[in-house]
Amino acid sequence: MPDELSSQVTKLLERWRQGDEKAPAELVPLLYQELRRLAHYHLRSERPDHTLQSTALVHEAYLRLVGSASVPQDRAHFIAVASRLMRQILVDYARGRAASKRDGGCRIMLDDLDAMGIDGDSDLLALDDALSELSRIDERQGKIVEMKFFGGLSAPEISETLGISRATVDRDWATARVWLHRQMSRKEKV
Amino acid sequence: MKTERWESLKDLLHQAMLLAPEKRDSFLDKVCSSDRSLRGELESLLAAEEDLRSSFMQSPTLADELLAGAGNPVSDGKLSPAQTFAQRFRLIRRLGQGGMGQVWLAEQISPVRRQVALKLIKAGMYDEAVVRRFRSERQALAIMDHPAIAKVFDAGTTEQGQPFFVMEYVPGVPITDYCDQKTFTIGQRLELFAHVCEGVQHAHQKAIIHRDLKPANILVVEVDGKPVPRIIDFGLAKAVAAKADDETMFTQLGSFVGTPGFMSPEQADPTSVDIDTRTDMYSLGVVLYVLLTGVLPLDVSIRGQPLAETLRKLREEEPQRPSTRVSSDCASSTAAATARGTEPAQLVGLLRGDLDWITMKALEKDRARRYGTPSELAADIHRYLNHEPVLARPAAVSYRLRKYARRHRVGVSVAVVLALLLVGFTVLQAAQLRRTTRERDRANRERDRATRITDFMTGMFNVSDPDQARGNSITAREVLDKASSSINQSLQNDPDLRAQLLMAMGRVYDNLGLYSQAQSLHQSALDIRQRIFGPKNFATLGAAEEVSWDLSQLGRYQEAENLSRSALDVARQALGPDDPYTLNAMYNRGWILGLQGRFGEAEQVDRETVDRRRRVLGPENRDTLNAMNNLAEALQDQGKYAEAVALQQQTLAIQRKVLGPDAQGAVDTMTNLGVSLSAEQHYAEAEKLYRDALDIDRRVLGPEAPNTLRIRLDLAVNLHEQHRFAESEMLDSQTLEIARRVLGSTHPHVLAVMNNIALTLENDGKYRESENVYRQLIELERNTYGPDDPRTLATSESLGEVLMDQNRLTEAKKILEDTVVVERRVLGSDNPATSLTIYNLACIAARSQRPQEALSLLSDAVEHHLKPESMLQIDQDTDLKSLHRNPKFATIVARAKAKAAGQQKLN
Repeated sequence: MPDELSSQVTKLLERWRQGDEKAPAELVPLLYQELRRLAHYHLRSERPDHTLQSTALVHEAYLRLVGSASVPQDRAHFIAVASRLMRQILVDYARGRAASKRDGGCRIMLDDLDAMGIDGDSDLLALDDALSELSRIDERQGKIVEMKFFGGLSAPEISETLGISRATVDRDWATARVWLHRQMSRKEKV
Repeated sequence: MKTERWESLKDLLHQAMLLAPEKRDSFLDKVCSSDRSLRGELESLLAAEEDLRSSFMQSPTLADELLAGAGNPVSDGKLSPAQTFAQRFRLIRRLGQGGMGQVWLAEQISPVRRQVALKLIKAGMYDEAVVRRFRSERQALAIMDHPAIAKVFDAGTTEQGQPFFVMEYVPGVPITDYCDQKTFTIGQRLELFAHVCEGVQHAHQKAIIHRDLKPANILVVEVDGKPVPRIIDFGLAKAVAAKADDETMFTQLGSFVGTPGFMSPEQADPTSVDIDTRTDMYSLGVVLYVLLTGVLPLDVSIRGQPLAETLRKLREEEPQRPSTRVSSDCASSTAAATARGTEPAQLVGLLRGDLDWITMKALEKDRARRYGTPSELAADIHRYLNHEPVLARPAAVSYRLRKYARRHRVGVSVAVVLALLLVGFTVLQAAQLRRTTRERDRANRERDRATRITDFMTGMFNVSDPDQARGNSITAREVLDKASSSINQSLQNDPDLRAQLLMAMGRVYDNLGLYSQAQSLHQSALDIRQRIFGPKNFATLGAAEEVSWDLSQLGRYQEAENLSRSALDVARQALGPDDPYTLNAMYNRGWILGLQGRFGEAEQVDRETVDRRRRVLGPENRDTLNAMNNLAEALQDQGKYAEAVALQQQTLAIQRKVLGPDAQGAVDTMTNLGVSLSAEQHYAEAEKLYRDALDIDRRVLGPEAPNTLRIRLDLAVNLHEQHRFAESEMLDSQTLEIARRVLGSTHPHVLAVMNNIALTLENDGKYRESENVYRQLIELERNTYGPDDPRTLATSESLGEVLMDQNRLTEAKKILEDTVVVERRVLGSDNPATSLTIYNLACIAARSQRPQEALSLLSDAVEHHLKPESMLQIDQDTDLKSLHRNPKFATIVARAKAKAAGQQKLN
């Protein structure tokens, strides 16, 4: 029963809200287990055409651990951490599958990426690489993308969480997409 | 790439992205001047952006982000009250902000002074192409003139090229809010909604589709105290949509215009290429749903779901019926009920049935199955309000066909619905006719002492013959049981007489519907006769025929058919092919083939019987007429209703002439004809026949005679088909009351009525009540007929189905699995009834996400004589929808159709 876990998470989110900068780090191990569990559950689902949506999963985790009737700020914070973890989990999974060439199973879908044709384990890994590259050049931009892709946070929420202006978020997001697209298509040609 | 370089690059990139494509080159010239690497970098990124843009769809959030804060100098943030706009308007105040842009209340200064609503199309949503298109739409929009549609006076562009609409200012409230505020009842809401439909109809006739119908666009104002709907924004979506070549909802920039909750499935489908008026139909359906229940049919909040998932839901997920939704969604139902001036339970009751059907028809995923026009929808709503039958209710035969395939074996003369109704009818009708055939044959023949004695015996037992009884059949039963046990001891010296008595008593058991006991008595008679007369004797054959009849009643069709076939062979050999007795055997065989579902073969045999009897006995002979009736039933069973009707009409005409209009044979044909006419949907004609038949039997046999009661049942079914449910249920319950009193609570007719009532309730959506009746019925049948009797099995199958209706799949599965075990044992695997149960199990598996199981069960059912009507409808059965994408499903469907066609071709 995640009740105890749930109250721990809620407390940490509250501390974060009140300005405790160490809270996010403490959240990570708590969330990681829960997210992995959820991800595995969905990924192992018996339906062959099952699609895993990262943001839906994060949302589900949030509901389980914190509940829907809480402070919006807490949600954004939660998702900020969760989205990074989700990215890790999914990439691990994709690597595992790519390595063993297992077919069938689960398609992983990430928010907003359909238009970019990202559909499959190798694409996810390519995205991960590209995103890591982007984060190296511009760490904040990478975070924004992560929160959007893997966590489904909206621009206002991202702006709130990171403490930057809305305009910055919009601009970073728009240009990141373009850069990632180019990066990934180049990789393809190679 | 270095971080600092990226910072400045990012900035430039972003600025360039905001420019129209043709302006970018000059921008790059300006900012890059001679920096070739910078330019190269920017160009490649912009190329990537172009690539992204042209892909199919992007998320609304992205588009919003891209566009919000777009720094177009003429943009919206700059407007303020009292400002003059486009030279002719003075802005008063901002009314709101929509997906397309701002809406302002303004005063038009010239050419006329009036208050208008100005709808501005925001920056980023238009370009040259849009503006051009916009201008051409003006004309179309201006010609609409209907009280329910807010007028679009004009459309124009500012000096800077920003498009705007000038519309009638509607100081109204969204329709859903209005109804809630006024706590409008369901009836009041429907009236209002019907007006909305009329408005949309007007627009559609002018070839203008709204595409974004939702409560926010359907405002209600009060004119002289009466609520009047006004639909706003008609045609705006199309005008703004930029792609001129296909009518999609996506602008060139990829942001999509549409409100997910109200979007039609085809709008949510990226591959669909055209949107037509039926898209508005769907949105109207959603609005209706919300008006009735207070909630959206599908949960499509974008938040927390990727867009693709939202759209997929819209395309694929079936919403719950309004009544189901309200009854299951306790959180919102109290509020919803209060807003409608009622209680949750009552609200569910109001919605269940016709309103459910109307709403669901408007919300069909397949747009071909929705209402064709808004006026059709309005018409059905008016029908509902006037308590007339609603067209949306699915024709029971196509919707429920598989359900009723069982009914005939309950020995019920009629079932609630068409094809199955026919089969059910066949049994009792054929039984009646057969019986009469035998009697008349024997009376005519005067060949055999046995015959006379049998008659005498039957006469002695007449008091316990329910067809003439007024008393409790249980008493008769006791008498009979006693007699049948004592007969084994007596008459050892006169086996001939003993056999005759056995035959007679068996016949009485038959009349009581106790076929198992009848069969054993008849079998004993057969054994005796075979021993003393040999197999080729007429009396022996007679006994064989009785046994075969009993076996068929017990559902042991193969044994019955074997016996009837060998009896026929013997008769042919011993008596010749045209001997009336041989023809009896042929008649019998045809009927049994019908029971087995081998309708094509049955038709062949029946035709031969009719032809020969016509030739040998004459076209007006009673036996000939009976055979014609039998043939008609075989035709009905194959869906050849037109032929059946013609034949029955012919038969009826002769019967009336030869036997007199009040003859029982004529009455039977009348009810049969009623069934065929109903199959062709001539319900009113059928009703007339039933009423006439009822009058005759009431007069001739008495108002409480079993046959009279049976016709009442038929009439109740007919009323049900005409959606006169209240009358139908009342007739059924009255009949049930009489039947219980007259025949005893375990009499087949009584149980038949109960079955009908359960069916009516089920078809009416009253699943709980239906379930209760079925459960009672099973108990009675178990005690009366035994747990292995086909009727008991049929009822447990029905119970399984009504549990499926309530989505109690686990319970249904248990019951059906138990049933199928017994069916396999008792009826055999090649039996339509067994196959139907397996089919239902397939449906359960499909609904429970076990596709492999479902497919294998389905295949099983198809291979083992599933009824042709069911086989032809497999691909339309909504329960099996989840299998549609599986290639194996298509194979099975093809096979089923081939089989069904093959069976029909057998003639």
